[in-house]
Amino acid sequence: MWMVETRALSKSYLFGSGNQVVALNDVNLTVANGEFVSIMGPSGSGKSTLLNIVGCLDKPTAGNVYINETKIDYGKAGHLVQLHRQTMGFIFQGFNLISTMNALENVWYPMYFNRVPKLERKKRAEALLESVGLKDRALHLPSELSGGEQQRVAIARALANHPRLILADEPTGNIDSRTGRMIIDLMKKLNKEQGITFIVTTHDMVMANNADRVITITDGEIVD
Amino acid sequence: MALRQLRTKKVRTLLILLGISIGVAAVVGVTSLGEGIRVNAVDEIQKSHDLTLIEVSPGLSSENIILITESKVRAVREYGSVVAPFVKDAYVTQNKTYFEVNGISTEYMDAKDIKLEAGVWFEEGTYQIVLGSDIWEKFTKIEGAEIGNAIDARIRLYGEEGRAVDKDITFMIIGRLAPTGTQADDQAFIDINMAKKLAEKDVYDGIMVKVDKSSQAPAARAGIERLDLTCFSAQDEIDSINRIMNGVTLILGFFSGISLIVGGVMIINTMIVSVYERTREIGIAKSIGASELDIIRMFLSECIIIGILGGILGDMVGIAFSFLIDRVGKPLLITQLGIGEIEHLTLINMDILIAGFMISLIISVLSGIYPAWRAAKLDPVKALRQL
Repeated sequence: MWMVETRALSKSYLFGSGNQVVALNDVNLTVANGEFVSIMGPSGSGKSTLLNIVGCLDKPTAGNVYINETKIDYGKAGHLVQLHRQTMGFIFQGFNLISTMNALENVWYPMYFNRVPKLERKKRAEALLESVGLKDRALHLPSELSGGEQQRVAIARALANHPRLILADEPTGNIDSRTGRMIIDLMKKLNKEQGITFIVTTHDMVMANNADRVITITDGEIVD
Repeated sequence: MALRQLRTKKVRTLLILLGISIGVAAVVGVTSLGEGIRVNAVDEIQKSHDLTLIEVSPGLSSENIILITESKVRAVREYGSVVAPFVKDAYVTQNKTYFEVNGISTEYMDAKDIKLEAGVWFEEGTYQIVLGSDIWEKFTKIEGAEIGNAIDARIRLYGEEGRAVDKDITFMIIGRLAPTGTQADDQAFIDINMAKKLAEKDVYDGIMVKVDKSSQAPAARAGIERLDLTCFSAQDEIDSINRIMNGVTLILGFFSGISLIVGGVMIINTMIVSVYERTREIGIAKSIGASELDIIRMFLSECIIIGILGGILGDMVGIAFSFLIDRVGKPLLITQLGIGEIEHLTLINMDILIAGFMISLIISVLSGIYPAWRAAKLDPVKALRQL
C-alpha cells in the first residue's frame, strides 16, 4: 500500500521575462506506508519543491499526487486543509515555531485548527512535549529554547493530530551534528514505533544512512 | 488568541483605540448636543402649548372640501371630553377696521381656557361681543370704543351666483379678554347661533377638541382624521422640530464622524503592517491546517476586539465631551442669546451610546476585511520562506 505516489509530476515557474525554469520534471515516486525515505540532492535541485507539492503547500504544473491512494485535487482548498489537519505534519529547517507562543501553545495550535476541544488539546500537547523530553520547557517561548529543543517542539507539533505522514525539510540543517543525531533518533523512533511515514530532504549523511531508502534528485529529476 | 496579539503590540493597539474612540466621542458629543437642543425646544413648546387641544378644520380631499356638518360634530364628540364647534367670519367697521369674529359656545371657553379681564361674557341670543386684548386696543384707539359701547360692522356674503351682499349689524361691546399670547388676542367672540345666523351658515368652520390627557391626543386625532377632517395641534410643531433637529443632528454627526474615517484608515494601515510582520506565522498556520476562513477570523477577531474596546472608550470620552459642551456652552448661550432656564444643553441617551458603540464596531470590522483577506490569500510557500 502506497502512502504517497506521484505520477509524471512536473513543476515549472514562468518569470516575467518569459524565462521558464523547470523545478521538477516528470517525477514518478512511490513511498510505501511506514517507509522512511530520505531525499538528497544539491540546493535548487527541486527536492523542497517536491516536498511542498506532496505537502499540498504548492501546486504542480502537471501530473498528479496520490496520498493514501486518493488523488489530490489542488483546486479544492477544503480538501487540502483537511489533509493538513488530519493526515500530514511538517518539520522545517528553520523550526517555524510561532515566536509569541510558548512551547505548549505551539504544540496545541494544530489541534486548535482541527477543532479539538480545549482540555483535550492541552492534555495531548503536554503528553507530546513529555514524549520529546521537554516537559519542563512547556511554558518557555521559542526564543528561550535551544535549536535542538525548538526542533523537538516542532516534531511534537507535527504529531499533534496523529498524522500518518510527516514531511521534513532539512530538519537537521540548522542544528549541530550531536543534537541532529538526537533529532534523527527521535524521528526513527516515531517511524518504528508508530509506523508514521517520513519523507525527509537532507544534506545530512547520518540521516541518509538511517533511511530505508535514499532518493537523489538533480535538476528536478530523480536520478536513482 | 486575538487578545494576545493585541497585548504584544500594546502601544500600537492603544493608538488605534485612541483614534477610534476620539471619532466615536466626537459623534456622541455632537449628537448629544443636537438631542439636548431638540429636547429643550420640545419642552418649550409643551410649556406654552396645550397638548390636549386639537383644532379641527374642514377636510380637503383631492376633489372637494369635507364640511363640518352637525353630523360630523356628533361624530367628533366621541373623541374628546370637550368638543366645541365654532364659526369664523371677517367683519369690517365703518372706519375700515377688519376683525375676525368667532361664534362660540361656552364649551369653547373651557377648551381654549380664555379668561375675561373686564366686563362680562355675552348672553346667548344677543349681539353682545367680547374682544380679544389686541382688538380691544385697536378699537379703543381707532373707534374710541369702551365696554358698553355699540359698534357698527358689516359682513359681506356671497349669494348663489357669487353676487356680493353686504349686511350691517350693530354689536354691543360687553367684555374684553386678558392677553393670552395666542391668536385669541386678535379675535372677537359672539354667541355661536347669532354668528351662524349673521353669516347664513349651516356648517361650522372648525371644532376645538380637548382630551383629558395629552397621551390620548394621538388616538383622538387619528379618529377625527378618519372622518376626513383636518387636524392641527402643538404636536405638529413638536413633530416638525423633531424632524428638523434629527436632520441637523444627522448632518453634524456625519461631519464629526469624518474623524472616524481617520480611525478606520489607521486600522487598515496597522493591520496591513501586522499581516506583513506575521507573514511567516500565517504560513505556519496554513501548513498546520488553518483554512482561509480561519486566517480571516484570526484578523477580524482582533478588529472586533478593537471595535468593542474603541466603542466603550469612545462612549466614555463622548460622555465627558458632552459634559464639557454642557459646561462651557450653557453659560455662553445664556449670556449671548439670552436663553434662560435651560437645565441641560446636551443630552445623552442609550440610543446615542449604542450608536457610538456600533459605529466603532462596524468601522473596525470593515477596516479589517481587506488586510484579513490579504492574509488569507498569502502563498504558504512564500510565506514560510520569509525570514
